[in-house]
Amino acid sequence: MKALTANRLTDGDVVFWKAGQWVERFGDAELFDDAEAAETAEGQAKSQPTVVIDPYLIDLMESDGLWAPLSYRERIRALGPTNHPTHGKQAEGGEMIEALMHADGAARSSGRVNLIKRK
Amino acid sequence: MYQYDTVDKEFVADRSREFREQVGRRLSGELSEDQFKMLRLMNGLYLQLHAYMLRIAIPYGSLNSRQMRRLAHIGRVYDRGYGHFTTRQNLQFHWIKLRDAPDILDQLAEVDMHAIQTSGNCIRNVTSDPYAGATAEELDDPRVWSEAIRQWSSLHPEFSFLPRKFKIAITASAKDRTAAKVHDIGLMIRRGRDGQLGFEVIVGGGLGRTPYVGPTITEFLPANRLFSYLEAILRVYNRHGRRDNIYKARIKILVAALGAEEFARQVAEEWAKIGPEGDLPDTELARIRGAFAGTAFEPLPAVSQAFETAKASDPSLARFARNNLRAHKKPGYAIVEVSLKTIGETPGDATSDQMDVIADLAERYGQDDIRVTHEQNLVLPHIRLDDVPEVFAQLKAAGLASANVNLISDIIACPGLDYCALANARAIPVAQQIAQTFADPDRAESIGELKIKISGCINACGHHHVGHIGILGVDKKGEEFYQLTLGGSGAEDAAVGKMLGPALPYDKVASAIDTLVEVYLRERRDGERFLDTYRRTGVEPFKEAVYADAH
Repeated sequence: MKALTANRLTDGDVVFWKAGQWVERFGDAELFDDAEAAETAEGQAKSQPTVVIDPYLIDLMESDGLWAPLSYRERIRALGPTNHPTHGKQAEGGEMIEALMHADGAARSSGRVNLIKRK
Repeated sequence: MYQYDTVDKEFVADRSREFREQVGRRLSGELSEDQFKMLRLMNGLYLQLHAYMLRIAIPYGSLNSRQMRRLAHIGRVYDRGYGHFTTRQNLQFHWIKLRDAPDILDQLAEVDMHAIQTSGNCIRNVTSDPYAGATAEELDDPRVWSEAIRQWSSLHPEFSFLPRKFKIAITASAKDRTAAKVHDIGLMIRRGRDGQLGFEVIVGGGLGRTPYVGPTITEFLPANRLFSYLEAILRVYNRHGRRDNIYKARIKILVAALGAEEFARQVAEEWAKIGPEGDLPDTELARIRGAFAGTAFEPLPAVSQAFETAKASDPSLARFARNNLRAHKKPGYAIVEVSLKTIGETPGDATSDQMDVIADLAERYGQDDIRVTHEQNLVLPHIRLDDVPEVFAQLKAAGLASANVNLISDIIACPGLDYCALANARAIPVAQQIAQTFADPDRAESIGELKIKISGCINACGHHHVGHIGILGVDKKGEEFYQLTLGGSGAEDAAVGKMLGPALPYDKVASAIDTLVEVYLRERRDGERFLDTYRRTGVEPFKEAVYADAH
């Protein structure tokens, strides 16, 4: 399973792809179980250079019966900094945030690594 | 301190206007991200994990209360009510919006501040002694030279696109508080036998993935020849530095490849071509020097009865005095270090409210002078001893009175994976856990000077190579691990630490530090710091204890 993420141009906020739009919560993100559909979305995202910067796909894993980013870096992006629990998206709390916090997968953010390699 | 003249003010205001236009062109799509990225970086604006980060230059770590209040205001209005002081004596805001950045630069320009040359392959903010103008140890005021270099290097056309970034440090005291030996150029002010002022010039130090303590290429450079000599060094670097490989592009690699002697020979050859025409006219230096001559001190007795009485009745003030006060060059004054390492807080962070308190204290008691240290603390350099109890009380009320400067909980930590797009692992929570482990102030004092420095990646913003105990976050298949090094120093006895052994998982780091400290306390002899004991015993007793525990 994958999701598509980027940072929004105007404020740098972490955003996720949902059916052609960008949403701020990981819990609202569109999940792709089809690699081809994910790559198509990534291609569309890249054609929005005045909306987002550097869109890339992230791998997901199951956590508390929900999906969470596999890479720790991506979970920090989806939650916020661990030294300020009231900063970032984690401040909202809720079931999805809890699932992200409990996730313990470990892997590099492959989408991001590919992005760096391409540069 | 140095006051901007009309030329300085117009220059900074122009730059701010230019950036507003560039941001507009980016938002409209006229500029691509690739085109814009370099422009925003030239104004200190990075994109990090959660938002943009704006790095603001605090020239040689020196600012006044008006500037500090403006930073507090920016933190409150455009960020989340705080800022992060860095190991380069700068300030970073971590939650900046691109659309706000032009307004922020305008606000900075109004108080003679900017973010120019806080990124990019240019000459960055000069590091200098946070005790400048206040310590009796110094041979000259290093701010004069730092300011002259700031003006000389700002938008210097020849040195705006160097092979890689370039950092200069200047210290005028035998006690080095600038980490001069691990800068691209370290300048140590010396006095010749005939009384002439000069510099020992160290080139090619650095941290990052290839750490070096820089070699001295000139033992004594007459002070009035500084700028032609700097130009010669930068010219040799600009010509031969490795532009083909970012990991080999810093001057330290060139100096190591050529050897210090050959590098020095090439610099001397270039220097002869430039000649004295490349030096700063004495009149210009005198103009700059004049800006730093204004501090007026009252004649005061060396001992303040009010302070002594207050100390005798308040053990917390006595502890603060032991750890955070330093000798001032004038009787009746003290240098007051303000620790930004409150146990459990983020190293280097100050809230906007705390910044306002510091500004008020500087204005009321401290000759309107504030410094930032490369160890991520603040300094009020000129406080009357009579006023120390009141300054302490106000710091305490603001949560800024931690009496731990140079102690084990005075930890340098980079922002790490909590914020930074380059990081592999978190640094801040590791620092917080270690500080909490040593929260008992009596224990911390009994351990004595112990410098722990943590970086979340090999770029070493947290100076881990020169920590007495260094901690480097690494990524092992997506998991945070931490590599410990021992025996480093960023001071006058500079050294690069040696690796202790295999990296430890996140939850084992604080207990490993505890073990290292126990070994030190067991092994130490009278008067030895952790570093001294390590240097005497070598790594073995430490290694044995940590890895015996780990298994």
